[in-house]
Amino acid sequence: MARPAVILVGADKGGVGKTTVARTLIDYFGAHQTPTRAFDTEAPRGTLKRFHPELTEVVDVTSVSDQMKIFDTLGSADAKVTVIDVRAGLLSSTLQALTDIGFLESAKKGQITFAVFHILGSSIASLQEIAETARVVGDANYFLVKNFINNTTFFEWDPATYNSYFKKIKGAEEITIPKLNEMAYEQVEVASVPFVSFIGNKGTKGEAANNSFVLRGYVRHWLGNVWGEFDRVKLVDLVSPKIESNVRQVAG
Amino acid sequence: MAFRSSITIVASPRPRVGKTLLARLLTDFHLSEGRLVTAFDLNAGERTLAQFLPEKTTAASVREISGQMALFDHLVAHEDVTKVIDLGHESFETFFSVAHQIDFVEEARRRSIAVAILFTITPDQTSIGAYRGLRDRFSRATLAPVHNEILGPAQHRDKYPLATGGPGVVRMPALAPGLRRYIETPPFSFADSGKASPMLPDSQSELQRWLRRIYLEFRELDLRILLADLRSSIQFGSGT
Repeated sequence: MARPAVILVGADKGGVGKTTVARTLIDYFGAHQTPTRAFDTEAPRGTLKRFHPELTEVVDVTSVSDQMKIFDTLGSADAKVTVIDVRAGLLSSTLQALTDIGFLESAKKGQITFAVFHILGSSIASLQEIAETARVVGDANYFLVKNFINNTTFFEWDPATYNSYFKKIKGAEEITIPKLNEMAYEQVEVASVPFVSFIGNKGTKGEAANNSFVLRGYVRHWLGNVWGEFDRVKLVDLVSPKIESNVRQVAG
Repeated sequence: MAFRSSITIVASPRPRVGKTLLARLLTDFHLSEGRLVTAFDLNAGERTLAQFLPEKTTAASVREISGQMALFDHLVAHEDVTKVIDLGHESFETFFSVAHQIDFVEEARRRSIAVAILFTITPDQTSIGAYRGLRDRFSRATLAPVHNEILGPAQHRDKYPLATGGPGVVRMPALAPGLRRYIETPPFSFADSGKASPMLPDSQSELQRWLRRIYLEFRELDLRILLADLRSSIQFGSGT
């Protein structure tokens, strides 16, 4: 049995697009035939659940019963990868809770693969957050995600400041989510389907949809670039080291 | 897979090289072959194409996404209509960059529509570079260089490498100056000579000769597109 993987997608500010990133991750693992489940912490009505209703459950990470629901099932669930979309403002406290229940300890021992996708906002406040979370996370696989999806003039702050925070986390990697055309993004929102379904011109129940070919093209191109970033940081290898080593044996 | 209909893009990054005339000739050619045709005018402002082909021309723009949707979604629509695009030089870059991003040629192929690009060749580096760019980015479209003989003898033809098995250079012979003025005054139609003011029998037959030569080139091009399509179907598998 492969070791379960938990990916925390969080930001300490709302509106930086963390749910969008979580959606691209779910689509990415889907494309790699990696069974995935997701938890949406935006109780009571999660955005992530709207796009991926079949594999998403809405939870409250601060409640013990929901923590059990997520972490006690890691070994037994069919899904290899668990994506948790952490509501704005809860990243630090979630990480603290993970420390308290000994989860981070298991991650350190290598029983669980743990990764954090930290979605960056444009203000310095969210950078201070890096320092705080870095303290808790330690050597988890830490990804700093610059999300340009809705904005082109995003990172206007001083690179020196940014680097000083960035360097606080050993081995942190940067991921850039490129801009997606506004109208294309909006249409996916309206359709309420995963990005891959929109590209494949499918509706919420897999029925044929009537999406613009141009918009589908833009989304396909964009998603390809996002996945290119995930490929670059070897995300699949990270969550499925076993499969990867098999591939290597076959290739060797 | 034999294609059901075709889209021909008349393009050059340079202004005033005879794109609109070529688009008019192509549209009239397809009409004379009994096909349904829609012509798309992507020139800012002038709307020359619409003056000659008012019923067949649709104005289009790729500057805004709404325009891109209107154009490309229409282009790949399931309908048996031959399409001709008069791509103004100022839209050249945007049109092809969008087409590349959204995989326009592939999508068209999936819908049994062959895509051809008629590229008017000129000796400048911009055009030579643009032509090579198109070759690299749209390997599954038929790319045909057009030599408009009114622009002078083409010593620069060697700068425009032909695709193996693809079409040769499409020659557009020069027309006598007097006749040129005549065909460039709307409402003139190659398909319907009754539309314009009467002309001398000599001029009439000269124009017909000129037209026959061009139509011959177009027929040849049509066959080349068909051939390229069959060839790539064999090479890549028939696809879906």
